Amino acid sequence: MREAIHIEKPWFSASLKEWIFTTDHKKIGIMYGITSLVFFIVGGIMALGMRVELFNPGTQHVSPDTYNYFLTVHGALMLLWWAIGIWGAFANFLIPLMIGARDVAFPRLNALGYWTFFAASVIALITLIPGNQIMHMWTGYPPYSANPNSGLTALFVFIWHLTGAASIMGAINFLTTVVRMRAPGIGFFNMNLFLHGVSSMNLIQLLGIPSIAGAVTMLFLDTYVGTNFFNPAKGGDPILYQNLFWFYSHPAVYVMVLPAFGVISEIVSTFARKPIFGYKSMVVAIWAIALVGFMVWTHHMFVSGIPDWVKILMSYTTVLIGVPTGIKIFNWVGTLYRGAVVYKTPMLYALGAILMFLIGGLTGIPLGLPAFDIAVHDSYFVVGHFHYVLGMAVTLAAFGGFFYWWPKVTGRMYSEALGKLSFWTIIVGSNVLYFPQLIVGLSGMPRRYYDYPVIGEWITLHQIQTVGAFVLAFGILLGIIALIKGTLSGEKAPANPWMSNSLEWRLPSPPPPHNFDEPPKVEKDYCPHGYCKF
Amino acid sequence: MARLTALLLGLITAALAEEVSAKDMPAALWDTLNEIWLALSVVIYLIVAVPSLIFMIKYRYKRGEREMGDQEHEGHWGLEALWTIVPLIVVIYLATHGFAIFKEMRTPPKDALEIKVTAFMWGWEFEYPNGKKVYAFFKQDKDAVKGYRAQEFEKPLLPVGRPIKVNLTSKDVIHAFYLRPAKVVQDAVPGRNTYLWFQVNEAGEYWVFCREYCGTWHSRMFAKIKFVPETEFNNWLGGKTALKKTDEGGAL
Ligand code: HEM
Ligand SMILES: [Cu+2]
Ligand SMILES: [Cu+2]
Repeated sequence: MREAIHIEKPWFSASLKEWIFTTDHKKIGIMYGITSLVFFIVGGIMALGMRVELFNPGTQHVSPDTYNYFLTVHGALMLLWWAIGIWGAFANFLIPLMIGARDVAFPRLNALGYWTFFAASVIALITLIPGNQIMHMWTGYPPYSANPNSGLTALFVFIWHLTGAASIMGAINFLTTVVRMRAPGIGFFNMNLFLHGVSSMNLIQLLGIPSIAGAVTMLFLDTYVGTNFFNPAKGGDPILYQNLFWFYSHPAVYVMVLPAFGVISEIVSTFARKPIFGYKSMVVAIWAIALVGFMVWTHHMFVSGIPDWVKILMSYTTVLIGVPTGIKIFNWVGTLYRGAVVYKTPMLYALGAILMFLIGGLTGIPLGLPAFDIAVHDSYFVVGHFHYVLGMAVTLAAFGGFFYWWPKVTGRMYSEALGKLSFWTIIVGSNVLYFPQLIVGLSGMPRRYYDYPVIGEWITLHQIQTVGAFVLAFGILLGIIALIKGTLSGEKAPANPWMSNSLEWRLPSPPPPHNFDEPPKVEKDYCPHGYCKF
Repeated sequence: MARLTALLLGLITAALAEEVSAKDMPAALWDTLNEIWLALSVVIYLIVAVPSLIFMIKYRYKRGEREMGDQEHEGHWGLEALWTIVPLIVVIYLATHGFAIFKEMRTPPKDALEIKVTAFMWGWEFEYPNGKKVYAFFKQDKDAVKGYRAQEFEKPLLPVGRPIKVNLTSKDVIHAFYLRPAKVVQDAVPGRNTYLWFQVNEAGEYWVFCREYCGTWHSRMFAKIKFVPETEFNNWLGGKTALKKTDEGGAL
């Protein structure tokens, strides 16, 4: 462990070579962040393309194959690179700072993890080259995905293998770091909720990824070697793929959302200038969600032809997740009570994320009831639901996190006015985009449609969405400008601009290459959430 | 406990059965559930959002007056227990009520008319008990109006006011059958037989859409079903078998 840590310059003065060969968690974190953000933008541009096509029924600008390719890549990029990948950035940068460590437990493995993720990114870019498209959606259900018309399934399989391997490396590393390398005085019940968020995330990754890796490997063999795991004509079973796929991919939604909960908790308590309300129940809730999350996967298969009793069983477990999730929301509201709420950009993003996540949650509960899902399964209602959760709650939390830790990462303050403007633009644009998805879905509009019949109400609802999409894109652009402008010409950031009590804010901004020259000492009743006592 | 649940379920189903017998099934059951969910959601949203907004305004930072929050309020076991137990009851109620409704949705009445629907890329084959078949094919056209137009012989007929059970399967990849006013979806899986049932009480033409992604023209995999009075349906069924595959569509 020790010898991998050598003297490096702070990130802003490092040469290209130092970036490429670095094992410094802060640099690797920044590289994860840039990669995720770039792919978020690519996925967003593809979504704008889809929205333009859907502005009117009929064929306008792109062919169905192009549209289906956009949709496949939009889904894959937004999930694997953005909603999961971005937490690799936060986890890398923040875990050692929050626990008082000099680096992560396995710095070289960490670098290998990033470059594996990078290799997956290259494959994703290869699909842009004509002839290499994949068009079977990010879920890649066989038998269609084993059909040559669906595109280059091999690339799909490799993307899963590589991002999966990167995630497993990250998971081993982060879990070991959090378990073994905490400074004296930082225990499981007084560490940052963000740390609980990423730890539970990584445990899910570790337990779940083998299942999806197996599924896509079998798909690869079916497609190219002629095995018949999923081929019904030769006695295989396509539903088996769905079980293996969702056994990971449902818990994967908690991989995306649990760290977001962590970030929201950090921001809300800091800007309410108050310890988080019900810390213990927050911790229990996080781990309960991670655990029960593994017992709900068939809610994605309520109409697949599985036995009815399985549906009922997993209907109960699914809605049960609403309880710990509710606990978190109520505790955030409780944190505001008798606080001193400061409205800086990160706080706006965090509060927005909570109120939007609530819509995502309330539309998720009925999807857990087979009797309700039977009408809206694979409709735009589902699209609206997961955009409220991912496109809003997770994305707002990630941007809130950017603004919140930006001074720590770059040593500069972002532009507050632009930051606030970006928040309001995003929140308006997102709702104009995503709310009509719920309505058009309840009215029966199927999901993954390149074209739709002339049904007056549907046309209106699609046109509103497209307008919202452009407003949202403009808001994201403003947010990114606010951050970049801060880095280039912002005021110098103090060590602790928000008066937070958490350990990372006791270091200079940006932190020195080794973080802590001496093992940090925290006070006896250290509580990372709340107003700085110094 | 088991007896209690059975009793509860019985009561709920009885109450529902009486109320909806004259309506479209199982769409009416879904409508009930939808109303319950919507009402609950609005209430829950307000329960969270209103106090949030009040706290956000009331407890905002004021220089010299309110510069830091109350450091004592780290939690409250009573409140936390409250917002664990009440949501628990709500979700268990929803799942149980949903269970009761779902059982009905999955149990076709004995007198249901059974038809067989086979999905393929990209169209539907409707087969009636007497062997009559109707095909609905995808049409390629830049124009949505034409692309979604069905000719008379492509429209399968079904009787109004009678429960219909659809036995589903697929010839190639996974598709899903969705009849818009019936509000039910079921996947058509190759190598498997699945089913759904519904009853539509108002005559008219209704959309069928494919609801599981199945390739390039998934979005044009539709059919138009014509719901007609039972006598008209019987005349049509006894008439010439429409065993006519069109070359419009599929071949394109
Ligand atoms: C610029 C903002 C965005 C726009 C305009 C947009 C639009 C869309 C559209 C039109 C679809 C296709 C719906 C369908 O036909 O099924 C879609 C699907 C999807 N979106 Fe987005 N979206 C945006 C942002 C996001 C974000 C931020 C995420 C996640 C973090 C996300 C995740 C997804 C996923 C997972 C799908 C499903 C893909 C599939 O069906 O295979 N989207 N989006
Ligand atoms: Cu799920
Ligand atoms: Cu389809």
